[in-house]
Amino acid sequence: MRTRPPKLAIVIALAQCLVASNETAVAQAPPTAGETERNRVVHLLNRIAYGPRPGDVDRVLAVGIPKYIDQQLHPEQIPDTTLERRLGEFQILNHSPSQLARIQRAMLAEAQRHAERPRAEPTARPAQDRLRALVKEFQTLPVLRAVLSERQLYEVMVDFWTNHFNVYMGKGHERVFMPSYLEETIRPNALGTFEELLVATAQSSAMLFYLDNYQSVAPGSRPPQARRHSTNTMRRSTDPPDSPLSQLQRRADSIRARQAARFPTGLNENYARELLELHTLGVDGGYTEQDVVHVARIFTGWSTRVNRGGPMVFLPWAHDSGGKTVLGRVFPPHRGMEEGLELLRMLADHPATRRHVSAKLCARFVNDTPPRECVDEAAEAWERSDGSIREVVRAILVSDAFWDEPNRAAKFKTPLEFVASAFRILGADLDPLPDLATHVATLGQPLFWWGPPNGYPEDQASWMNAGSLVRRFVFAQMLATGRLPGTRSGLDATVPLGANREVLITRIERHVLQDRATPHTRRIMREQSSTIRVPATARAVILSLALGSPEFQRQ
Amino acid sequence: MMDRRVFVKAGGLALVSLGVDPVFLTRAAYATGRGERAADRKKILVCVFQRGAVDGLSMIVPHGDGLYYQERPRIAIPRRGNPGGVIDLDGHFGLHPSLAPLLPFYRSGALAAVHAVGSPSTTRSHFDAQDYMESGTPDIKSTADGWLNRQLQHSRSHENTPFRGVAIGPHLPRILRGDAAAIGIGQLNAFDFRGPPGARERMITAFRDLYTGDRSSLLATTAEEGFEAIKMLRAARAAMRGPAHGAEYPTSQFGRSMAHIAQLIHADLGLEIAFADVGGWDTHINQGAEQGQLANRLTDFAQAIAAFMTDLGPRMADVVLLTMSEFGRTIAENGTRGTDHGRATVMLVMGGPTRGGHVYGRWPTLSPEHRADGRDLAVTTDFRELFSEVLAGHFGTADISAIFPGYARPSERGLGVLG
Repeated sequence: MRTRPPKLAIVIALAQCLVASNETAVAQAPPTAGETERNRVVHLLNRIAYGPRPGDVDRVLAVGIPKYIDQQLHPEQIPDTTLERRLGEFQILNHSPSQLARIQRAMLAEAQRHAERPRAEPTARPAQDRLRALVKEFQTLPVLRAVLSERQLYEVMVDFWTNHFNVYMGKGHERVFMPSYLEETIRPNALGTFEELLVATAQSSAMLFYLDNYQSVAPGSRPPQARRHSTNTMRRSTDPPDSPLSQLQRRADSIRARQAARFPTGLNENYARELLELHTLGVDGGYTEQDVVHVARIFTGWSTRVNRGGPMVFLPWAHDSGGKTVLGRVFPPHRGMEEGLELLRMLADHPATRRHVSAKLCARFVNDTPPRECVDEAAEAWERSDGSIREVVRAILVSDAFWDEPNRAAKFKTPLEFVASAFRILGADLDPLPDLATHVATLGQPLFWWGPPNGYPEDQASWMNAGSLVRRFVFAQMLATGRLPGTRSGLDATVPLGANREVLITRIERHVLQDRATPHTRRIMREQSSTIRVPATARAVILSLALGSPEFQRQ
Repeated sequence: MMDRRVFVKAGGLALVSLGVDPVFLTRAAYATGRGERAADRKKILVCVFQRGAVDGLSMIVPHGDGLYYQERPRIAIPRRGNPGGVIDLDGHFGLHPSLAPLLPFYRSGALAAVHAVGSPSTTRSHFDAQDYMESGTPDIKSTADGWLNRQLQHSRSHENTPFRGVAIGPHLPRILRGDAAAIGIGQLNAFDFRGPPGARERMITAFRDLYTGDRSSLLATTAEEGFEAIKMLRAARAAMRGPAHGAEYPTSQFGRSMAHIAQLIHADLGLEIAFADVGGWDTHINQGAEQGQLANRLTDFAQAIAAFMTDLGPRMADVVLLTMSEFGRTIAENGTRGTDHGRATVMLVMGGPTRGGHVYGRWPTLSPEHRADGRDLAVTTDFRELFSEVLAGHFGTADISAIFPGYARPSERGLGVLG
């Protein structure tokens, strides 16, 4: 078993959610009209937010569902001071890609020195430690934002696009590129237009590196350096071969030749294929193998300064200037970078893209296998609004499918959703830079660390199996008993152990399980705690069961 | 496992009256109908998925095919006899030098390769191709379960423990999903509640009661499998030990996965089918040759598998290890010293009745007129032919159409990989 010293504190402010008010809740109250509206709010907060915090349901009830949705669709108008204050602690947010590239270079130099030293000698590796710490901070960001942000729908959408346009941070230079990819490519466009988001990802160093396009060049093209190299060699070929100058020149030539041998010489289809299959049209979107090749030719020359942390550059010499045809549309020759932008605009507005991405959004918000009407309505909103993500999401949230009773609590939470919702429901007040990313990773979702380009799955079949359930139960137990690694809970201060057990159970049913507990779950929480004498143990068991219950695994 | 069967039976009866989904009934009926007739040393299949489409032409190198060196000026494995050169197997094919740890098994007849194997589906999408290879139904997306799970449903040779079907890692892959119980497990030693034994026992009891009554019988059954797994691991943990026969696993994720599978086998937890993923094969760029990116991945791959075979030693007589990958890569190197998505690749079969020391499959040659779509290594062996042969030869699976619907083996003898 792994034990680690508690590094950072989580103070769980259960007072507010469990013992603040003065009345004894009545578990058997009959459902009323008000209860129904409450249920709708609970459903809404489980889908467009990472679950409710203490008091959230009442706040939304006071505002009204339509207005709350509208507010959430305009995150720029929602103050988020608590989170913003906390983000000040994240050094990663103050590091530009070029700064990160410098640290990475220092780390590589360190590794080189380390390799040259005798084995016994321990060496400090400050650059490596620093980069690792920054990466861990970065992985923590989405969890902290999911837990603390007032702009919940916005954070849900950022998570959605982070996976739709997945980039794997474990690949080479992505440690350098990923932070700006999230902050400057994904986040500013998460509720904007799909076209702008698509273009931004296509031009990001992170995507250009991840899907290898930065090295894709027109077959037969040569970089200017290589051309210089060959002319110089020719000019000097008449020098006396044994002169010192000639020897020096030969050595320089050989270095240049080795460099030239590393220049790419042709196409790489990786980005082209995933752009069509995953980002836009979908695998059944009607493109051919020849379309893939022509798309790859269109993006030749779209590159980045890999060792400097970017930014994206267009290399005219590497661009295939011939004519291309994609999905029947002719792209005339000599259009340079413009034809790539034109292609992206065409793909962004393609009917197959509308349906493919709308279906994924419906699967995120409604049901793993969303009804056709939901996809139709979302795709229509897309067409009507010229690809406004805000309007597509709005269409889904007002659709009948979103509110249909069978679709309530019909989705199984991902590890990120499970962990964030658990912290939120307990009103967790997170201490500086908590090791939140580790908890999500332990449950199977190390953030930014999904290798293939399709992103983390969203469906129940991918996340629900015997092993993953057990890990969630253990997480629930550790959170409820205040022994989550790296955390310390304030349960004793906030849930007085002297409280009447019946009151405690009723409050946990109401506030943690949001009145969704089945009679069976209620009975088991009572039964299992009834024979426990030690109040702290009883409280831990009840809360563990609530957080680990079937009800709490669903959203 | 008597308590599990009794529990499932009782639970099943109780839930029938409430109306439950058929998956639960399938599992319950299956669990209660099992016999005890299986022999002591049961057959085990271990599948390794090289996700990302491995370059089969670099694993088992057709160094006797002149076009190989012509098409891959910068990424070909040097000719045999040169530093870092290919390890010749039969004058035509050779082993990537990074796969040298597997050479002794090839020489002793424990390891066979099947070349130019792949899917009849021509998709070059990783995800569709993986889906088809895992569902076992190329070009059909609606298949609900994976073929390894169907084998578990079909087979009656093992007791029904939660460890009959195991995937290493937090996810249960498509290939193992379905009505038969299967579990995704990462760290064996962390798979339990926390606290002293009494507290852990109380948590199991409490959660067990909680999940018994869940309205989704699938969730209830799945959780029950989890509790059973915890209990079995508790009982087995004391007897668990490190690798046997001096086997040394690499410290990589794949090394750990293979070590976990060996531990489960050593612990006799009822393992019938194990599955492990190993990634990093999508070498579009800077693939490398005898050294480099792909060579490093292959080193890890070979070391982990060799350690596994050493660790199990004589027990490998009951274990077949099968590797697979969704497709191969282009014959010609691309413009970035890598390879793009292709068609056929190579798969390895080891242990049990494998008739090793041979590269099987009809070699389509690299000549342009025999390529798929004029560019890729053609598929001459349907992956289902190889997989069927493994199931029939190792488990004695008779009804292949139950595992691969709509597929019939071309001949009883098949490729001859398993004797």
